[in-house]
Amino acid sequence: MAREVIGNGNELAAEAAIDAGARFFSGYPITPSSEVMHVASDLLPEVGGKFIQMEDEIAGICAALGASMSGVKSFTATSGPGISLKAEQIGLGFIAEIPLVIVNVMRGGPSTGLPTRVSQADIGQAQYPTHGDYASITLCAGSLTECYTQTVRAFNLAEKYMTPVFILLDETIGHMHGKAVLPDLEEVKASIVNRATFDGAPADYKPYDVPMNKPAVLNPMFKGYKYHITGLHHGHEGFPTEDAVQCEFNIERLVGKINTVAAENDGLDDLPDYEEYMLDDAEVCIIAYGSIGLGAYEAVNKLREQGVKAGMFRPILLWPSPAKRIAEIGAKFKDKIFITELNMGQYSKEIERVIKRNDFTTLLKANGRPIAPAEMVAKVKEMM
Amino acid sequence: MRSSLRFTGVGGQGVLLAGEIMAACKIKDGGYGLKTATYTSQVRGGATVVDITLDDNEIRYPYANEGEIDFMLSVANVSYQQFKNGVRLGGIIVVDPNLVTPTEEDRKKWVIHEIPIITIAKEEVGNVITQSVVALAITNTMTNVLDKQSLIDTMLSKVPEKVHAANKKAYELGEKYAREAMAK
Repeated sequence: MAREVIGNGNELAAEAAIDAGARFFSGYPITPSSEVMHVASDLLPEVGGKFIQMEDEIAGICAALGASMSGVKSFTATSGPGISLKAEQIGLGFIAEIPLVIVNVMRGGPSTGLPTRVSQADIGQAQYPTHGDYASITLCAGSLTECYTQTVRAFNLAEKYMTPVFILLDETIGHMHGKAVLPDLEEVKASIVNRATFDGAPADYKPYDVPMNKPAVLNPMFKGYKYHITGLHHGHEGFPTEDAVQCEFNIERLVGKINTVAAENDGLDDLPDYEEYMLDDAEVCIIAYGSIGLGAYEAVNKLREQGVKAGMFRPILLWPSPAKRIAEIGAKFKDKIFITELNMGQYSKEIERVIKRNDFTTLLKANGRPIAPAEMVAKVKEMM
Repeated sequence: MRSSLRFTGVGGQGVLLAGEIMAACKIKDGGYGLKTATYTSQVRGGATVVDITLDDNEIRYPYANEGEIDFMLSVANVSYQQFKNGVRLGGIIVVDPNLVTPTEEDRKKWVIHEIPIITIAKEEVGNVITQSVVALAITNTMTNVLDKQSLIDTMLSKVPEKVHAANKKAYELGEKYAREAMAK
């Protein structure tokens, strides 16, 4: 049975992590993400899990990666400045193929920026969080319910693709307090994905000897299967290599197991990668994500009351972007596309890349304040 | 029908909890409630605003729409001045007169009631922390947006048992002062 709960987005993300099977959290508190940690510290001991507050952000991700290498589903939570500090270890998680869920509750940046205020300016950072090539899996919660459901999904994608996965909240969604309808707990448990393991003879175990676009098969450490973990390019057993053919294969496989697979299969799993509202007969399409989607939804209603046929497209899987659908929207709505986001146009650039045009209208804000439905309504009416 | 309420104060006064209680009560009674807070990075003393939206139908956007707020309560002048213009013309504003000074022009735009909320909590209840419950009682008595008993039950479920008596007293006093102010 669906569960009706009252809470804020940060609390719901932490609860989802535990329901998804997470049994380890390490991190360092930072506004506006700290409640994720608070709730994790309450809930993990109750289910036999471990919680540890580390000495800084870097240690926070290092311990979580280590726990994941031992086979335990792990997560950490932070906000923008914390992601900057964790950047190098996100790269380690990517190249060594260590599953990890990273919750980023976005606040105003750059640097320490606007600690208590809302922003969506870390979505570019989530796409390329570290030096070197990277393929990002980034989910963006657009409601209290999604703070829960998309966090569960983040764990499943991390295990399926053996890689760090971002779940982005923002200050508004993380701190807003209200009703969420959560899926039945048994349904959640039935949906859980666990990483593949090798159960043949230990002498035959080669965790990184996998075909193109497939993830590594990493058995938990300390179970009798020997391999090496490193941030250096590595061969089949994980030991460093500079072999040109191997290195080329490695990076093509690491990027391809996410980006190529998503393009070929129209996404990374069977769950919706976007929400559409009133789009079928719409004459103008509002594109928004995260908490800005909340205002966009109300703007659509207000515009319709005033005779403007508006609709909304709200991506949930930000990276890799739902490019096929974005291209269709680009073709259908032509210059009647309105993109609104809390940064200087980071997702607008992705829309431009996909539709190969920039004739859309934008409403961008990066001063720590939300965007009210009335502001969107006014801007859309100027377009019509 | 949608009700839009706003509490303003400075960090540390407990206005966040009062907002959470109102949203939770509406949800428990079968409707939708959202509370959202905006605060500054100062630990104490920064202007804090809490928006509460209550509706029988789904609410998505969690902030009050400026100019559409029905009721605002303020216990700090800095936040009163900053946020008062969100209240619709003719809307109700309650201020603690020891801390907030509305202008004559404000009194023409809005129905302003002066109730010494902090003093009531400190001297009549005997516990300054109960100011948020005094505020809660004033808000609901003036707006009638929530069932009184349901609100008291929700409030009591969120405070430690040892202070139940003090908080019940705070609610009764808040209600009494609100009725007196409305009768003026």
